Parts: sequence; C-alpha cells; structure tokens
Amino acid sequence: MTTRTARGGHWQPPPGRLSRRTAMLGAGILPFALASCGSDPSISADPDELVMWYWNRSASPELLAQAAEQIPGTDRHVRADVVGTNFDTKLRTSLAGDAYIPDITYINSNNALYFTNEDLFLDLGELGADSVQDDFYEWKWNLGMTPKGRFCFFPLDIGPTGFFYRQDIFDQAGLPSSPEEVGAATTTWEDWIALGVELRGAADSAMVNDAQTVFEGFLNASPERYFDTDDTPLYLQPDSAVRQAWDTTVSAIQADVTARIPRDRGTDQNAAWSSGRTSGNISAAWWAQILQESAPDTAGAWRLADQPVRPGNNGGSFAALPHTCKDPDAALSFLTWINNPQNQALAYEDVQLFPSTPASFDALSYSGEFFGEQDPLEFFSTAAESVPTSFISTWETLIGGSFTFEIGNVETAGKDPEQAWEDALAQAQKVLTKRGVLS
Amino acid sequence: MTALAPVPRTDTAVGTGAGPERPMNAHYVARGRIARAITHVCVVIGVLLSVFPFYWLVVMSTSTTAEIFGFPPKLTPGTSFVENVTNVLTSVDLLQALMNTLIVSASCAVLVMFFDSLAAFAFAKYDFPGKKVLFILLIATMLVPGSLSLVPSFILMSEIGWVGTLQALIVPGAANAFGIFLLRQMAAGSVPDELIESARIDGAGFFRTYWRIGVPMLRGGLAFLGIFTFITAWNDYVWPLIILVDPERQTLQTALQNLNSLYLTDYGMVMAGALISVLPLIGVFIIGSRHFIANIAAGAIKG
Amino acid sequence: MTTTATPRASASSNTPPTLRSARTTRQRIRRALPLYAAISPFYLLFAVFGLFPILFSIVLSFMDWDGMGEISFVGLAQYQYLLADTRFWNAVGNTFIIWFLSTVPMLFLAMVIAFLLHQNIRFTKFYRVAFFLPNVTSMVAMAIVFGSVFSDTFGLVNSALTALGLDTVPWLSSPWGIKFTIAMMVIWRFTGYNAIIYLAGLQAVPTDLYDSAKVDGASLPQVFFRITIPMMRPIILFTVITSTIGGLSLFTEPQVLLGDSGGAGEAGMTIVLYQYNQAFTQFDFGYGSAIAWALFLIAAVFAVINWRLVSGRGDSVQPRPSRTTTKEARR
Repeated sequence: MTTRTARGGHWQPPPGRLSRRTAMLGAGILPFALASCGSDPSISADPDELVMWYWNRSASPELLAQAAEQIPGTDRHVRADVVGTNFDTKLRTSLAGDAYIPDITYINSNNALYFTNEDLFLDLGELGADSVQDDFYEWKWNLGMTPKGRFCFFPLDIGPTGFFYRQDIFDQAGLPSSPEEVGAATTTWEDWIALGVELRGAADSAMVNDAQTVFEGFLNASPERYFDTDDTPLYLQPDSAVRQAWDTTVSAIQADVTARIPRDRGTDQNAAWSSGRTSGNISAAWWAQILQESAPDTAGAWRLADQPVRPGNNGGSFAALPHTCKDPDAALSFLTWINNPQNQALAYEDVQLFPSTPASFDALSYSGEFFGEQDPLEFFSTAAESVPTSFISTWETLIGGSFTFEIGNVETAGKDPEQAWEDALAQAQKVLTKRGVLS
Repeated sequence: MTALAPVPRTDTAVGTGAGPERPMNAHYVARGRIARAITHVCVVIGVLLSVFPFYWLVVMSTSTTAEIFGFPPKLTPGTSFVENVTNVLTSVDLLQALMNTLIVSASCAVLVMFFDSLAAFAFAKYDFPGKKVLFILLIATMLVPGSLSLVPSFILMSEIGWVGTLQALIVPGAANAFGIFLLRQMAAGSVPDELIESARIDGAGFFRTYWRIGVPMLRGGLAFLGIFTFITAWNDYVWPLIILVDPERQTLQTALQNLNSLYLTDYGMVMAGALISVLPLIGVFIIGSRHFIANIAAGAIKG
Repeated sequence: MTTTATPRASASSNTPPTLRSARTTRQRIRRALPLYAAISPFYLLFAVFGLFPILFSIVLSFMDWDGMGEISFVGLAQYQYLLADTRFWNAVGNTFIIWFLSTVPMLFLAMVIAFLLHQNIRFTKFYRVAFFLPNVTSMVAMAIVFGSVFSDTFGLVNSALTALGLDTVPWLSSPWGIKFTIAMMVIWRFTGYNAIIYLAGLQAVPTDLYDSAKVDGASLPQVFFRITIPMMRPIILFTVITSTIGGLSLFTEPQVLLGDSGGAGEAGMTIVLYQYNQAFTQFDFGYGSAIAWALFLIAAVFAVINWRLVSGRGDSVQPRPSRTTTKEARR
C-alpha cells in the first residue's frame, strides 16, 4: 500500500502515527474522553440480529422479509435499514468513529474508494466465499478484489452497457435502424461517429447528450483504465486507453454528434431525449428502467445495439462486512444466499436489479414492448458475457473527474482540446503528488 | 456610549410636534393613491416570482415522473397526487417521523428563543466585565466552518451515549450565536434604557426586568427566531442522518430521503413527500408571523 | 435573584470614577452574576459540543487524512499547497463576485418589501406568506425548477428571449451566466427571509415618527430613506453581517444548480463547494480543513470591514433610543 503524505513522495517522519480515535480525542481536552472505556457500541443490542445498511430498491423486499425471520442455514436474522442519500458519508463517519457500524453494508460501484482502508473490511475469501465464485461473472467478481488481493466486496448487481437509440428517428433519417444493422454499422468508434454525422445531417439530432458519455462509454469497455494494481499511472503512457478515449471523444465533439448538454442538467437531458433532439445514449441495463419511467411516450421507439468494439460495465453494487461484524459466517451466508442465481432472478423481477450470476437468466423472461420486439434481458445478458476484466483504482476515483471535467470544457466552453488534456494531466499530477502516489 | 440618536435630521421635521389631529392635505392623498398603486404592482410581481417555484412543487407532486420530465414542461397540476401520497405513506412511517420532527423542532425553537433572548437582553442593555470580549467571541463562532465537524461530533455523541437519540439533535443547538446577535440588535434599538432604569429603581432584578420588559418588546424578533429555528431544525438532514441509527426513530427528512433509490427514483412521490414536509412549516409561519406586526394595531401609517 | 443588576446607564454615568478600584471590580462581577448566568447557556453548550470539533479541525489542517483511515502529520504542507492552488483562488474570486451580485440587491429589495408590507396595504397577510415560501420550498424541487427556467436550450427564459426576437443567453455554460444565475437563486431564496427580519424590526420603530412625517406631507420614499433606514441601522448591520457570512459560505445553490464540479470552467465553484469537493469527493480532509480555516480568516476580515462600513465611525451600533421611543413604549 502506498504511503500517503500531503507533500510529494517525501516521507516526513510523523510524530508517531496516530490511530484515528486517539488523534481525535487528543484534539479536544474533554473530561469524558478520559472516562471513555473504549467499548465500540453496536447498532443493535440483540446478539442474533445483524444490521444491514442498503438503499431503497437495492435488495428484494421479499427476500429481506425472509432474512428478517432467519438467515437460511443460521440462527441469526437480518435487520435491513434503508439509508438514503449521503450513504458514503454515513458509512465513513461510523467507520471513522469506530462505533455504530453495521454488520453488513452495501457499497455502490465506487467500492475502489475503500481500497486504501481495506483493513476495515473482512476478507470474504478467507471466510470461504470462493466456493460460490463460479456462479458469478468473472469480471464482476474481480472488481470486488482489492489491489492486495483480498476479496472484500461481494458482487450484487451489474450494469452491462450498450447503445440505446431511437429507431423511429434513425428510420426517418434513412439510416440503418434495426439493432443488427446499427450494431454492424458501428463496430468501431470512427464508424459510430460517422453514423452520428449522418444523423446530424438528416435529422439534426445528436447520438448522445454529452461528451462524457462517449468518454466513459469507451473507458468502461476497456480492459485498461487509469492505473494498474501497482499504482502505475497508465494514462501517462503514449497511446494509453485514456488517451484513446480522449481522442475519440474529441472527434465526436468536433463532428457535432454530442448534444452539449452536460450530465448535471438532468431536466435538460430528459427534455432532449423526449423531444428527439438527442436520439441515443450509451448506458447500462439499469437505465432501461429509468427511461421507461421518465419517457413512457417513447415506448416502442427505442432499440438496443451493440456499442462499438465491445460492451462495458457501468455501475452495479457490492456488499461488504465491516471488521466489527458480529457474526461474519452468518453474514456471508446471508450474502451468498441472497445473491444465489435463483434469488437474483427474483430480485430482478421484484426491483429490476440486473443479475451478476449468468444462471439467473435461465429463470427469467421478458415481456414488454418498450423496445419493440427486442428483448433487453437477452441483449444485456449477452453483453455481460463479453465485458472485459479491468481494474478500478482508488486513485482513479480521485483523478477521473479531472478528465471528464476537462472534456466537458472542450464540449460546452469550446476549450482547445490539447490545452484541456494538458490541464487534466496537470491537475491529476497535482492531486497524485499531494497524495504521495507520484513524485 | 456615544451613539447618535437616529432621529432623522430632515426637512420632514419629525420632531416639530405636529399633532396627529392635523388633517392630511389633498396633495398627499393623491400622491399616496398613485404610490399605492405602484406599490401593489411591485408587490404582486414579487409575489408571483416567489410563489412560482412553490407552485411548480405542487404541480410536480401531482404528476408522474414521466410528466415531470416531459417536454415541454407541464404547467398545470396533474392527477396523480393521491397515488403519490399513497406511495409516500406506504414507504415511510410518516406519523412517527412527523412526531419526532415536531418534538425536535419545537424543543429547539423554544430553547433557542429562551436562551438567546436572555443572553441578548443582557448583552444589549447591561454592562458587565468582559462583555466586549465575550461578544466578539460569540460573533467569531458564527464564522467557524461547520461542515467538517461530522466525525468529531459523532465521536462525541457516541462517547456520551447519545447516538440514536433525539436529544443529540436538540441540545447542541439549544442556544446559538445567530439568535443572540439578532435579538441583541433588536433590543438595542427598541428597548428604551429609561424603562430598564425605572424597573431598577422599582427594585426589579435582571430576570424580572427581562421577563416584564425585554420579552414583550422583543416579540417580533422572538417570533422570527422561533419560526426560523423551527424551520432549520425541521429541514436539517445530514446530522440527523449520521446520528439516528434506529429505523423507528427517524426525522421527516431522513425518512423522506430514503425514498430515493439506487437507480430509479419516483420523482412524483419524492415531490409529494417534499410538499408534505413543507406544509406544516407554512402553518407555523402563519401562526408565528402575527407577531411581526404586533403593535401596528396601535397605528402605523393608516389607510 | 434579588441582586439588582446594573443597567448600563447607571454603571457608566452614576458611579463616580474614583470608586472604580479593584475592590469595586470584584463587586461589579458579583453584581453581574445574573448577567453571566443569562449568557452562560450559549458558552456552556459551545464548550461542550462546539469546541472539540473546532480544535479537531484545526489540528486536522496540519494532517493528512482521508476521513476514515490513519492520520499523519504534515506540518504546514496543506497551507503551502493552498497558497499555490489556482483552483482555490478561482473559488475565492467567484465567491466574492456572486456575493456582491446577490447581497446588495437582495438586502435592498428585502428592505423595500418589508417597508411595503409594513404599510397597511390589502392582502398583507397573504403577501407575507408568499414572500416566505422560497425559504421553505424543497431544494430538490428548486433544482428542477431552476434547471427548467434557466436551461440553455429548453429554458423558459431563453424561450421568452427567442419569442421576443432577442439572442439567447448561455445561462449555465458561460462564466458570467453561471454567476448571474446563482446570484438570482440566492436573491430568490433569501430576499423574503431578510424582509421578514426587517419586518420584525420595523414593528419596533415608534409609530408616531411615521405619523408626524405623514402629517408633514412626506412621500413614501422620503419616509423610507429618512426614517426607516436610520432607525433600522442595528438590524441592517445584523443582516449585512449574516449575509456576508452566508454569502462567503455559499454552497447549496451552486451545488444544486451545477453539481459538485462548479460548472463549465469552474465558474460557479465557491469556496465552500471547493472545500466540500476536497473533503467529500476527494476525501482529503486535511486539505478541506485548511480551506475551511482560510475561509474563516477571509470571512473575519471581511466581516470587520462590513461592520465598520455599516455602523459608521464610532460605536453607533446601538443607537440610544430617542425620547420618542420611550414615550411610545410607555403607552
């Protein structure tokens, strides 16, 4: 693990590394700090009750109700508490305070953020999680592995990606319009942009709302990302995946196939899709549900085509057991049970979580007309087979924003692309130097 | 005290002793009518601008998610209000959350009004050693950044065993610099020293003077402080989220935030929840704001 | 509680200076005990609940911490980094520009509205509620509303401009458009709030001042500028100081409008948004603390300047009530 100091790689001899709690209590001279007996209060006093934190609709209510009675094969039960927005803040605060920590916690696709503090979570491999490994997509399982090789993050759902597009608009514009034709016409990003140029010319519509979609669509499908497990900054190498994604995105911007409506303007993005000003999106399986709810009028008009090169993954969450977990074996039993192929199929039917176990799809069938005669379940489960294995680093979560921010500047503020790239690199350099990753 | 009396030294000659019986001249009345018409127009424009987003909240809470994100935006209320509210009620223990929030907000408001007005009255009307330093300290605490205190505050609460309790939301904010500063400024201008002096001569101690003279004269300020302390406590989100660990003991805001899902959020339902949480505040405001014009009845500018 | 407290007037004028010895100081302290008791709740609560987090965040600004793991000492490194951090200084500039764009019109409008509502015009009660609404309308709803109104492509404002044959304005993608829109949002949210503070203050202005002014044929603007404003000076000072503090710690509006990144070119990045960014998206709590304390210094200096400007020379913060006030109050 990297030693992190605020100044370069220069390791300054600290006056003894402090434990969080000692340092904090030391910062305030408080009578009761002295009286502290060091017990770490747990949320539930019931020794048989495991408390779990999750989001609304991130687990099947039916299965949770079962686990609230008893976790199959154990004599414990689960109390599932919903935590709304600011989930990470709540989880991190209780971990930092070393008190009132849940026994089981869900963690979003930003699990890499917790790699630097992986000691706070149990290695599920040591507990025997490997016995179910073969049930899961390999790439998803690997995303739960820390750089040290500990398996701390158990796979929940996944987000295989594809190109969503409005078949009616493509049709009117005289472009290829069936999923097969569109997929075949856009096997490379150059072809995809070329098709976008035709769309712009014929229907004055954009392929996607913002450049960030192209940039992330490219990277999410790439085996190489910003760093390797040894913290080598791959993006600095010539012809790196990040640089290729950048160049591809810049061409897309220059070809005017993005609508220049950045992500933080959700209302605008929706208006663009509803009005046909934008005819597509590169997104994950879970977006299908959002689209159906927010634009039901466009039902039947949307189709799914393979995105250029290969599908990627966007989103999908994990579960972890904090080091304070009351009964790790029972907690792991819960995780393997609620995520077995059969129960993931049930969760898909219940709350549309896209399964991370291929066998789940045997039990599932789709009946709906939103994608016409096309079956999104089949589309995305096929896509999930070819998602590449990749590694997301903690540092990527810190510097990735500089690149998407600068690509946004190129798109909406007309910034010179080379200048923007240099600025993104410089900003990343600054952050990584400050954190002691680069010198 | 070298303060200048803020009596306007102007040609309107406030102090000339003109009796209220003197009839208004016609010129003034005519000018008043035009002025009042302009006044009304300005106020109405301001009102429309102020009310519009609230109106939109009403529209959204009666619409489906699809209608909310439709284009062009729909400007009239939809028909899904009952459905949205039903969804809120089935997802959230609203009654329990309302009760908890009411306890927290009302306690905060009452404690803040009491403690702040006591302190403000002492600061505004009395001299005591160390007053200036203490007051500067008080103002300085208003400048202190608060957003990074989550972790140490959480540790503090867990040490004293208050995690998961409502007093963790009430006690730390039972007195605040903002209210003391506000009421001190109001008391400085509106409570006459002569009244306090005569109370002293009558043998009234500080607390009696405060209760008999300070509180009645600070009614408007107290009403404002009470209302806005109530609102702030009512809307507080991050600290309750951190400190409340028991699903049976949630506040309205933490409960409503749970309506947001990982991927798919029903915005119609979220907006209905937001509307439900705002309505009681409007009621509190209507009740409390009567005191803003408490002594206008005595006569301000009539007609 | 039988101790007779010392009203300021008697303490300063009735006591001969010769008696002010060390002995009388002790006496004064003893006499002032009820006063100390009156102000103590705030200081006690602060000592128990406020001091520890503050000390902690001061210590943290000399540390490196990700908000969860180990803490290590880095000396002045965070502050050195801050001085050279162009993003921080950009945020400082933005904050001041937005503060200026919003505070001046906001307080002026608030005073005008309060003054108008103080008149017995019709529907006053309804108007009061209307002006209060922005302060409680939920921020989620606000985000959607402002997004819809100021959107570059689909916004109501730009649609209106197009309908009038005017050029559209890139409200949310140009540096000045972004600042202006944020300022609008601040004005929208807080004008009514400040108006209500003023209204609460106005009720304390002796009514006979108005009566006599009116009898003398003063116009509304004359009454406003020559009676209302001077009488309201302590309250105005209060709103200026609180809006200064609030404006310099501006956070919610830019975040709701533009997300955590501060919009194109970080044109809407404010100091506190940047601090939030560093602490809660970059998980650099040491640097977040350093930013917080830099803001504390800036705000302190600025608050002192404002205090001086508004309260004028000398200590006119507490205007001694005029005789008229006294007469009114005794009624």
